[in-house]
Amino acid sequence: MFDKVLIANRGEIALRIQRACHEMGIATVAVHSTADENAMHVRLADESVCIGPPQAALSYLNIPALIAACEITNADAVHPGYGFMSENAGFAEILSEHDITFIGPSPEHINIMGDKIIAKDTVRKLGIPVVPGSDGAINDGAEALKIAEEIGYPVLVKAAHGGGSKGMKIATSAADLHDAMATARAEAMASFGNDTLYMEKYLSLPRHIEIQVLGDGFGNAVHLGERDCSLQRRHQKVWEEAFSPALNTGQRRKIGDIVANAMADMKYSGVGTVEFLYENGEFYFIEMNTRLQVEHPVTEMITGLDLVQQQIRIAAGAELGFDQDDITFNGHAIEVRINAENPRTFVPSPGKIEAYHAPGGLGVRVDSGVYAGYRIPPYYDSLIGKLIVHGKNRTDALMRLRRALGEYVIDGIETTVPLYLDLLGNPDIIDGNYDIHWLEKHLA
Amino acid sequence: MTRRKSVDTKLIRELAELLEDTGLSELEIEQDGLRIKVARNFSTGVQSVVTHPLPPASPGTSSGKQEESAGTENAVTSPMVGTVYRSPEPGAKPFIEVGAKVMEGQTCLIVEAMKTMNPIPAPHAGTVIAILVEDGSPVEFGEPLFILE
Repeated sequence: MFDKVLIANRGEIALRIQRACHEMGIATVAVHSTADENAMHVRLADESVCIGPPQAALSYLNIPALIAACEITNADAVHPGYGFMSENAGFAEILSEHDITFIGPSPEHINIMGDKIIAKDTVRKLGIPVVPGSDGAINDGAEALKIAEEIGYPVLVKAAHGGGSKGMKIATSAADLHDAMATARAEAMASFGNDTLYMEKYLSLPRHIEIQVLGDGFGNAVHLGERDCSLQRRHQKVWEEAFSPALNTGQRRKIGDIVANAMADMKYSGVGTVEFLYENGEFYFIEMNTRLQVEHPVTEMITGLDLVQQQIRIAAGAELGFDQDDITFNGHAIEVRINAENPRTFVPSPGKIEAYHAPGGLGVRVDSGVYAGYRIPPYYDSLIGKLIVHGKNRTDALMRLRRALGEYVIDGIETTVPLYLDLLGNPDIIDGNYDIHWLEKHLA
Repeated sequence: MTRRKSVDTKLIRELAELLEDTGLSELEIEQDGLRIKVARNFSTGVQSVVTHPLPPASPGTSSGKQEESAGTENAVTSPMVGTVYRSPEPGAKPFIEVGAKVMEGQTCLIVEAMKTMNPIPAPHAGTVIAILVEDGSPVEFGEPLFILE
């Protein structure tokens, strides 16, 4: 087991890692920029090293500074958290060259999943369902019709060399396929100088459902259930829940087993999340994140597992030690992200927190490093904490979330707490009846 | 850089008082592997320099920080994380001593990281009035290294 772990991150996740390490008796080193000198985890860590000025490129993303900090503190492992260096295979390799363990999967797996095309190809071969498509350019109308029949309407005709929303046309049936292709081709030629087209199934109202996996690198892997993260604003998740209101036990077991078996075949090591778009009972792979995710607490609440401690155990060489039958699921959990932003306009609101009082009580968890008097630096993202509730079922969890939000005091800055109180009054949210476009439509 | 072992702040206050009472200009003690030096500032009051810094201040108070920075306002700080060396190589004469007059750009210290040596130059010509680090000790970004008048 490691003697000393260097936490290569900041904010709430650095505090999360700090807590896991201390519970395991592992000493911690908190590296920080000058802007984060007074961060909670820096104060709690056994040692701290200032590694640079506020700009992430010169501090949290500064590999020489991170390695030097490991050297002068004799850290034997680095936990990269999420974002920053967590999916940087080069960093993992450099650490390995310095005999420091990177707490995460192998550089090879980071690279495979980092390339979206290779990722899709790799998981398809492992049996994970992907968005059905033409597998290459479509050469003529007859081929197009054939492929569209196979995929199933509606289909999206896309410019192979395109981007944005240009050169993309939806065809809802064989009748409009020809016109869709002609228009797409013309637009593609005009916008990109190339009219090569390919086709994918069009998902109009999908949900974002992701499966948490845990593997030990020796060929053992389990799934820890799904999270529904459909409520997003500008592709940023704001509200996540486990389980998804849309899935039943059979569906959950089926997709969970497919994903767990794929990870076992890959000999994946550590935690990972396989993300899908889900529509009409079908799952379509989007990508895999080879790291801990922001919303991991909801999975921890329903399984009772400490995912960060599992990461550390596995990185230290331990075998999984349990199998799928040992995993039990309990109740329902919801997480909302507390951002330092105006709850209507989402304009960032950095500054000093004058008064702070976090909610408590049964089934309430707050993952946050802020405190009264803490000054939120303007240099980083606006996430200042996560409020997670757990209840016997989804209704209980919703009631608990409303109660906890009502107790939460964060004065001096604006936060997104009012947004969640607003959502809790909405029938679609109460019914669990939402998709990935729902929140943007609601906010418009 | 901070190490979170408990430091006897009472002792430091006692030493500072002792300094005032006796009229000494400098007092250094070593106890259980901890070395504390208290020195009288040129201008007013007493400046304490500790090899193991004070524990973290609670939110809202900044007295600890003020005392530390009183003497280090004009210090040349480290541009990087690493290990500081006072000589070009082990056994060689140190680049600078207290009282040395240096020219702008002259190498005063080296900070080493990942097996590369990075010279720390004097930002302007002047006299070295204090060296704040020990040979071979770890330094962090922004750590005060030496004071140049």
